Amino acid sequence: MKFLGYILRNARRSPVRTFLTMASTTVSLFLTMVLLSYFTVNDAVADSIKLLNRIVTMSSQGLAQPVPIARVREIAALEGVKAATPFSWYGGKFNEEVMPFAQFGVDPSTIWEVYDELSVPEEQKKAFVEKRDGAVIGRRLAQDRNLKVGDPLPLKQDLYPVDMNLTVVGIYDGTPDRDLRMCFFNWDFLNEELKSRANGQMADNAGVVIAKVASADLMPTLSKAIDASYANSDTPTRTQTEEAFAKMFSEMFGDLKGMIRWISLAVLVSLLFVAGNAMAMAMRERTTEMAVLKAIGFRRGLVVTLVLAEAVLVAGLGGAIGTLGAKVFFDLVDLGKYTAGMLPFFFVPWSTALIGLGASLFIGFASGLLPAIQSARLSVIDGLRKVV
Amino acid sequence: MSQVNSIVLENVSKQYRRDDFVIPVLAGLDLRIAEGEFLALMGPSGSGKTTLLNLIAGLDYATDGQVIVHGQDLGELSDSEITRWRSENVGFIFQLYNLIPVLTAFENVELPLLLTNLTRKRRRQNVMTALKAVGLEGREDHYPRQLSGGQEQRVAIARAIVTDPYLLVADEPTGDLDRNSAEEILDLLQQLNRDFNKTIVMVTHDPLAAKRAGRELHLDKGKLVKNIELRPEYDADSVSAARSADHQSIQETAS
Repeated sequence: MKFLGYILRNARRSPVRTFLTMASTTVSLFLTMVLLSYFTVNDAVADSIKLLNRIVTMSSQGLAQPVPIARVREIAALEGVKAATPFSWYGGKFNEEVMPFAQFGVDPSTIWEVYDELSVPEEQKKAFVEKRDGAVIGRRLAQDRNLKVGDPLPLKQDLYPVDMNLTVVGIYDGTPDRDLRMCFFNWDFLNEELKSRANGQMADNAGVVIAKVASADLMPTLSKAIDASYANSDTPTRTQTEEAFAKMFSEMFGDLKGMIRWISLAVLVSLLFVAGNAMAMAMRERTTEMAVLKAIGFRRGLVVTLVLAEAVLVAGLGGAIGTLGAKVFFDLVDLGKYTAGMLPFFFVPWSTALIGLGASLFIGFASGLLPAIQSARLSVIDGLRKVV
Repeated sequence: MSQVNSIVLENVSKQYRRDDFVIPVLAGLDLRIAEGEFLALMGPSGSGKTTLLNLIAGLDYATDGQVIVHGQDLGELSDSEITRWRSENVGFIFQLYNLIPVLTAFENVELPLLLTNLTRKRRRQNVMTALKAVGLEGREDHYPRQLSGGQEQRVAIARAIVTDPYLLVADEPTGDLDRNSAEEILDLLQQLNRDFNKTIVMVTHDPLAAKRAGRELHLDKGKLVKNIELRPEYDADSVSAARSADHQSIQETAS
């Protein structure tokens, strides 16, 4: 602590250089936090739904292929399945917005049993069942668009060949780690519209089927059983837990995920060179001073410590601002508002922020190591030039 | 041969190696400096005076021979030991002051004390005493850029004496100062030598500065060539003995 003042003064000696080094560390760490958190959050969300005992049945050909609607009833009838619902992504426009929020055609009579972690007032559940064009939206979506029960919710066609003129009949709520920006509407209403106004094009199909299972132990058996039942049909299925289904989205970017990790590493390594160069320049300018310190009794270990402390202070502070800044920024700014349900929530987990903080401290340490060793090994006589 | 409380160099040689070349700087040099002596080292550039000063100050090791300072054979000390020894026994005064520009006068003087176990309060007392001794009371919060050259050198001297070292080494301490400032610094060095019995070895090109010392030693081509006694009042027994020995060494070199 005796040397803290000296370290701080040295760090402020060249304010522009210190600022630029800190700024490059801050910006790089901020961006790295965003990249790494994307996958961390996806995995965290997938982990959080592990306990909800849901399985998702999709076409074995992928999400682009639908599942016949009859599968909902068949899956619901299986022993161990508490409830099942179609889950069809409508993907319509709202006003002039393209992909404004996620909209799903579901079964109003089973959706709240399948999604039992979401809460809706009983009278609104009833209204959702009774009113064919009714829609239940998430609390945050209602807040964002200033929508309330009774408001019209017109969705224009995009993927499907029909428009959906809906009316808000309910608002669901849930814990903050749930997606509270979805819009559920009656799948039957969509199907009727397709039959009456689009010659049945895309009718009688669900995007996927989501089922609530009585216990986690049953999920592997049920998944296998469902897929086995349809293996030889025209529309074979692929069933997996909702957790695996959620992770599938990030795994779709499998190579990209690895690439982003490598890019993040490359950013940190180049940052190391930037910070290292700044420290090396600082030490070169202070060669004589280092020699003086050693002449008056500063031992090699102490010189190394002082240089490293300064490097860690500059890079560490920049990194702390970058990582904690990203953490605070995304805690305050609700990114889900702007991503149309593609990224319902985004935040920088503490674990990722701490990794970033550790990385910035390491960068500080590593960037100062070579200049520190050079300073420690500096001959006093050479450093003083004029000798003594 | 070695005297406790004095500086003794016996048959000291120093060579530098530059690539394939061996450059001899000092050759078979014998020298004695008594405790409390103020010695000026003079000689043309390349004569080895600064190299000699480095050896006495423990900044470099002799290639051959012994350098004994205050009873300690410096050749026996490891790098970390000699660094510690310097911090306890030697105060350095440089031509260009070499103060840390981002530290105040107080903090510059305090630097050597940070290596000790003194409390903050005690460090403050010692720093203020040193600054008072060099006439810079009230300037402790000034940064080097806010001081004149002479004042900067005073801060450097305060930094050199704050640990109360046995030996002060000065390499052209007035080389970058105007005459008036130089006189003030030389007055101060004389005062430290006279009042606090500090042993001072000063390298200088300035004959007027050298005249402030008790003795002038001239080097040429790595050998002592002249020993001039300047201040009879230094004729304490040990000083006389040191001078006689150096006279004899020079005569032997000449013959």
